[in-house]
Amino acid sequence: MRLLLDKFTDRIFHHGSWKGYWEVLMQQIKPAWRDGYFRARVVTVKNLNTHILEVVLEPDSSWPTHAAGQHIALTIELNGRLTTRVFTIASGANTHQRDKQIRLVTKVKAQGALTPYLHTCVPNQWVNISAPMGEFVWPQTEKPLLMIAGGSGITPFIAMLDDAINNAQVNQKAVHLLYFAKPNEHVLLEELSTFSKRCESFTYDTLTKQRDGDVEAHLSYFADAHWLVCGPHAMFEQVETYAKTISAPVSSEHFAALPVVSHTSLTESETFSLVHNGQSLTIDNQQTLLLQLQQAEQPVTYGCGMGICHQCQCVKKRGVVRDTRTGELSDSAEQLIQLCVSQAVTDVEIQL
Amino acid sequence: MHETQETLATQPTSARKKPNYEILAAQLDEIKADIKQKVGAEDAAYIRRIIFIQRICEWSGRILLMLGFLQPLLWVAGVLSLATAKILDNMEIGHNVMHGQYDWMNDKHINSKGYEWDIACDGASWNRVHNYEHHTYTNIIGKDRDFGYGLLRLSNDFRWRVKNLWQFATYIVLSVLFQWGVSYHEMAAERVFFGKKKDNRKNQVTHNELKKRFFSKGARQLVKDYVLFPLIAGPLFLWVFAGNLIANLLRNLWTSTIIFCGHFTGDVETFKEEDCKNESRGQWYYRQALGSSNIKGGNLFHVLTGHLSFQIEHHLFPDIPARRYREMAPKVQAVFKQHGMHYNTGGFLKQYASVLKRIIRYSFP
Ligand code: FES
Repeated sequence: MRLLLDKFTDRIFHHGSWKGYWEVLMQQIKPAWRDGYFRARVVTVKNLNTHILEVVLEPDSSWPTHAAGQHIALTIELNGRLTTRVFTIASGANTHQRDKQIRLVTKVKAQGALTPYLHTCVPNQWVNISAPMGEFVWPQTEKPLLMIAGGSGITPFIAMLDDAINNAQVNQKAVHLLYFAKPNEHVLLEELSTFSKRCESFTYDTLTKQRDGDVEAHLSYFADAHWLVCGPHAMFEQVETYAKTISAPVSSEHFAALPVVSHTSLTESETFSLVHNGQSLTIDNQQTLLLQLQQAEQPVTYGCGMGICHQCQCVKKRGVVRDTRTGELSDSAEQLIQLCVSQAVTDVEIQL
Repeated sequence: MHETQETLATQPTSARKKPNYEILAAQLDEIKADIKQKVGAEDAAYIRRIIFIQRICEWSGRILLMLGFLQPLLWVAGVLSLATAKILDNMEIGHNVMHGQYDWMNDKHINSKGYEWDIACDGASWNRVHNYEHHTYTNIIGKDRDFGYGLLRLSNDFRWRVKNLWQFATYIVLSVLFQWGVSYHEMAAERVFFGKKKDNRKNQVTHNELKKRFFSKGARQLVKDYVLFPLIAGPLFLWVFAGNLIANLLRNLWTSTIIFCGHFTGDVETFKEEDCKNESRGQWYYRQALGSSNIKGGNLFHVLTGHLSFQIEHHLFPDIPARRYREMAPKVQAVFKQHGMHYNTGGFLKQYASVLKRIIRYSFP
């Protein structure tokens, strides 16, 4: 039915989708009603400490429940612009079924496009979320588990433990958590202590690099466990290298720190990779993306070559580009860009 | 439809007084940067509100058309409402969204790649000719195929031909069928159906693709307005059929008139191909400025023209949300004045009379 309606809308009203055609009308009644997104109501927003924010959301009933460990894309309209970022859900599926709520716990990044504005969300405001996604979930294994969390990488573990302890999964096996963070920046400690009280086979250590050394120093005690790691890229690499040497099984999720961009770097030529339609190309930061795609004889549509006509527009999936006209840097998330006035500032992925 | 674009170069461009291009560019860039900073939530809310009004007008129009048998005045209201919907869709929404004015919103339904409008012309095709050619090569004879559309002789840049004698009639026909003219424009210009091909053009779209799009979009429009909705009305088939026909006609006349007033008033200047070789930003601005003209009017008038009543500002800043042109216009005018450049503006009647005069004047050698 939906498909038929979409086809009809496309033919008759020239609009990609039925829901999209009525979107603006529906938004008068249902704020944030959007084609391709779910809606969620903000319940509370509060600071857990100076850097960490907790956001509780109540998704519409059509939202499919997540599996603990999965993440969602959260979209908020900021000054007219739809801004999207991905967050892990820091609560279990049980909690969602019981309270109809999910929780996000995130670090606020001073330069971020979304997190610095999260605290401006007010209760009962409507935002958009995606369906739950991701493969980082409780593993099917007989082995004991070792969870290794770095910073805000604690969130999927909290969700997994929430469910596992409720379902009494943990009783069947030993689960240990190594939780690294900067001094005094560990969060959700109360919850961890409740978990360990409720369930004897769950134990945890809160660690800091300064005091306890790198993650490697702790791994050898858990050689027979299945490892789960979530945290910054550097930590993930250490764990993975170590796991290889002793062939321990690892499931992981890691976030590359957002690329640091400095304006001065533009004077020096640097090379990056440009991924487009599944192909990869080496490019530099001196010429526009359009020129480099043309030189590589890739099929691109373009017109004026000076940023007026928008013929060369495409979707940037990730990476940061610089507008050659203004020097302005783009967001690092998905965005429309004009190839003829964009230079790479980081590795870039686009969809032609 | 034949076009003749041999340049006779009878007007020496060197005769014009030239501004200091660098200063001009800096000043206009500053006006743009200023406004860009302000663009945000208000503009997003504005375009959504206009889309909302467009939907309401369209559907109340379509419903009222079917109530004509109760009271013919309802039918008249229906025609006006539907015509308004089509005008809003084409001008304030379609034209402006497809210029990329709202791309920053990241909204997949309100951006230049995704938008398709309620007019016979395929959006992508229009984008190529209009956004690229017309806005890059504004009023360069031989490159901007919008100047006279290859149908009308509007300056001495074109050799006079006998057919120009009755070009006023041609103009009227063009206005009546304007959406089809717009739709046919790219194909005519590319000489898809007949005529010699210009080899200096890079073809990004094959002729077959152009034809396919022309027929498919056109057919869908015809089916919608002249088959589907009349059929839904059952016994009132003719009421709805006629209503749709008149709504389309009103929209055609309106858009054509506004567009002619923006481009072909008496004082609008033309340029030669040399003028845009190695053109600086300031020179580009200069050409945009002298190739367009504004129309004065009230709030509703501006909205219904899609703010193309600020054609000068639109040509200088095609991707700034059009409602912002109102704030920019006085500043732009001041800059022009400082450089001794003509800021072509006037009331609707004055501008329109000057268009008609131009069409008639160049009917003759
Ligand atoms: S080619 Fe015209 S905007 Fe990029």
